[in-house]
Amino acid sequence: MPPASDDAVSSTRARATEAPLLAVRGISKRYGRVCALDRVDLDFHGGEVHAIIGENGAGKTTLMRILAGEETADSGDVLLEGQAVALRSPNDARRLGIAMVHQHFALADSMTVVENLALTLTQPGEWRLSRKAIAERVEHWAQATGLQLPPLASPVGELSVGARQRLEILRALIRASRVLILDEPTAVLTPQETEQLFALVRRLRSDGRVVLFISHKLAEVRDLADRVTVLRQGRVVAHAKAPLTDLHELAEAMVGEPQVEWSKPPAQVGEECLRLDGVSTDADAFGTPLRSVSFTVRAGEVFGIAGVDGNGQQELFEVLAGVRPPKSGTLWIRGKSVSPRSPAELLDAGVGLVPPDRRREGLVLEMSVLENFLLHRGTLRRFTRSWGILDWLQARSYARTLVEHYSVRVPDLDSAAATLSGGNQQRLILARELEARPQILVAAHPTRGLDFAATQFVYRTLAGAAQNGAAVVLISTDLEDILTLSDRVAVLYRGQLSPTLIPPIDPLRLGALMSGLEQGTAI
Amino acid sequence: MRQRIAELVPSLLAVALALAVSAAVVWLTGSSPLVAFAALLEGAVGSRDSLAEVAVKACPLILTGLAVALSFRAGTWNIGAEGQLLVGALAMAAVAQVGGSMVPRPLALVLGLGAAAAGGALWAAIAAALKLRRGVNEVIATIMLNFIAAALVSYLVQGPLMEQGGRYPQTDALPPEFVLPRLAPYRLHLGVALALLAALVAQFGLFRTRHGFELRAAGLNAVAARLAGIPVERRLFWAFVLSGAFAGLAGGIELSAITRRLYERFSPGWGYTAIAVGLLGRLSPIGVVLAALFFGALDAGSNTMQRTAGVSAVVVYVVHGCVILFLAALERWQRNRSQGT
Repeated sequence: MPPASDDAVSSTRARATEAPLLAVRGISKRYGRVCALDRVDLDFHGGEVHAIIGENGAGKTTLMRILAGEETADSGDVLLEGQAVALRSPNDARRLGIAMVHQHFALADSMTVVENLALTLTQPGEWRLSRKAIAERVEHWAQATGLQLPPLASPVGELSVGARQRLEILRALIRASRVLILDEPTAVLTPQETEQLFALVRRLRSDGRVVLFISHKLAEVRDLADRVTVLRQGRVVAHAKAPLTDLHELAEAMVGEPQVEWSKPPAQVGEECLRLDGVSTDADAFGTPLRSVSFTVRAGEVFGIAGVDGNGQQELFEVLAGVRPPKSGTLWIRGKSVSPRSPAELLDAGVGLVPPDRRREGLVLEMSVLENFLLHRGTLRRFTRSWGILDWLQARSYARTLVEHYSVRVPDLDSAAATLSGGNQQRLILARELEARPQILVAAHPTRGLDFAATQFVYRTLAGAAQNGAAVVLISTDLEDILTLSDRVAVLYRGQLSPTLIPPIDPLRLGALMSGLEQGTAI
Repeated sequence: MRQRIAELVPSLLAVALALAVSAAVVWLTGSSPLVAFAALLEGAVGSRDSLAEVAVKACPLILTGLAVALSFRAGTWNIGAEGQLLVGALAMAAVAQVGGSMVPRPLALVLGLGAAAAGGALWAAIAAALKLRRGVNEVIATIMLNFIAAALVSYLVQGPLMEQGGRYPQTDALPPEFVLPRLAPYRLHLGVALALLAALVAQFGLFRTRHGFELRAAGLNAVAARLAGIPVERRLFWAFVLSGAFAGLAGGIELSAITRRLYERFSPGWGYTAIAVGLLGRLSPIGVVLAALFFGALDAGSNTMQRTAGVSAVVVYVVHGCVILFLAALERWQRNRSQGT
């Protein structure tokens, strides 16, 4: 148990020195043969932000889900104010004042803000729902928490991600009188929205709540957390207390091995590979159409396209993948204008694709690892013999070398791609695409949902592709991706591309462009 | 190999549960399930004669089951094997009517069965084209086309194709040139061999060729397949057409080897049983053969059961229905379990 004293104790923070508000003792949880949590002991004090960090599969989310009543532990106790409590369902957790905000929002997009909060704000046994009464309660809570809410009558689907998250947090706060759990809350936010969130969290802390904060972004943890617990493979491997000085140590504790500082070598820029000239797309029911987007990418460089999700990233990816023909404008590949009607033409022209949603777009999850390695027109052609017969023997040995070379951890080549972890799925996709030797590589959200080690691997692989002469287009909402990899950066906002920025790039300037505070004029 | 065996588990379990439910139904009607099932088994595998009968009954189910498996693999729902089978039989009957005894036997069979396959393919192509060009849901289109095919047969056997001089709404008996030869003194015929060959070809095509790979990928995840450069729509269209060809061939073989005449109610619903066959066979051609043999055995054995145990042959439909229900339930259950980890 970490010593419970702090040098700079304000009056509210003093509560932190008392007995822990929430504690877990000897919590274990197994899924089949996998041990997700192994006899975890932890104390959480009121008035503190406690960050739980660790790689994917470290058990962070499982532990939080147990506290939120969504999972039950195999053994061990949860103590609230020193009393063992039974958490058999989310209802139990709600009664005890524990609530969790998930990474993926659980909001009904077609319903309004008030409607989304109605169930939470209704008393048990209250049969009639009066919109007006609910709206009054929403206002009351918004005032009590100081959360800025969007217009109450607007459909949630039209709100920005940040606003939706505030709604989720408000909903959780109504329930979470004691413990608020945030599962990777910043993954989808702009830097400004992240700042707002942090301000809110600091305010909540001063109310004496426990705020549990799951993350694998160390910089955030440094900015926000009073205490840090590192989980690795279901065990607590390190504790730390603010102020955090050595992030490096935490990274090593998280990954379990020494981390080498890595930064991308400067680009050796070659000839122009890809050019978009005033590309616009048709508006459809979802998403944001591109409006006259132009840029060039040369061999050997990484061109980063930043932006908050939903500002045309999907559309841009689809144009570059050949599944969405532009309404106007031209696509040039190595000096030749192309108007692709299918991905096949672009793949043949040397484009490689790392799609935004790897499970839905990058893999056929039900197919085997081996078959997923073949899921590329060029590779398929390579292993097709006369009469259209596939040479599985050769394909198998090819897949085996890729598994080794890209260190994809797979049970065996015949197990379904669905059984791989997210990081290994991404390795598989990167291996498949890069082995087809693309001259242009379009990678969309390549590190989304990946942990520290897997992210580092993606960085190195993409930088390696550029070094080998590929022109890399990096579309990402993650600023770390953009700032680590890009040789040049532009921001996509409401379908328009900002002027190109060249490193060193001020993250705040980038944030301003991303949130439309600073209007970039499209070139 | 272990995965292959694991894939069999839901099918075997579904069969076992379905048999258990029908045993309960038999018991509720006041008969002994043991006696009934013993008679069923006797009727299905009791003699060489009955074994041959099982194969004969399984033949149309193998081909229509392949039709279902192929289209489902491509991610489309061809519920129209019934209609495609009827149109296939119709095409063969028409060719035989025109060809008469002018063509020698092997050529007549090739022409007749070719016409049957082409007829089924054409009928399926209508639904496929509607889906790809107009976005018409293929389930609805194929079901509607089933009714149209049945009505078409009904009209033709009462009008233009009605037997000459006869009074029954049926076509003339096929000329001997168009009749598939028997393989043994039983009813076993060459069509059974053709069906097995078709299953082998389908198995090879699906799992050993590039087109088969592309078809499977397109069926499981059209978005990912398209991004990999696979022409998803084209694969889907041809899977559908090939599926129709298999079903059409089933109709042609049944006409040529067994009934020799086309009439209303020519099919006892093979095209619908085929869905159960395809699902029970886990959409794999080899699995389809096994499932078709199972359903064929039920069909062959049910007559004996009715005769000797006095239990209505209709009981086998309880098995049909339960197999599908349990398969669906088990699949769901399996998926939930695998997501839990």
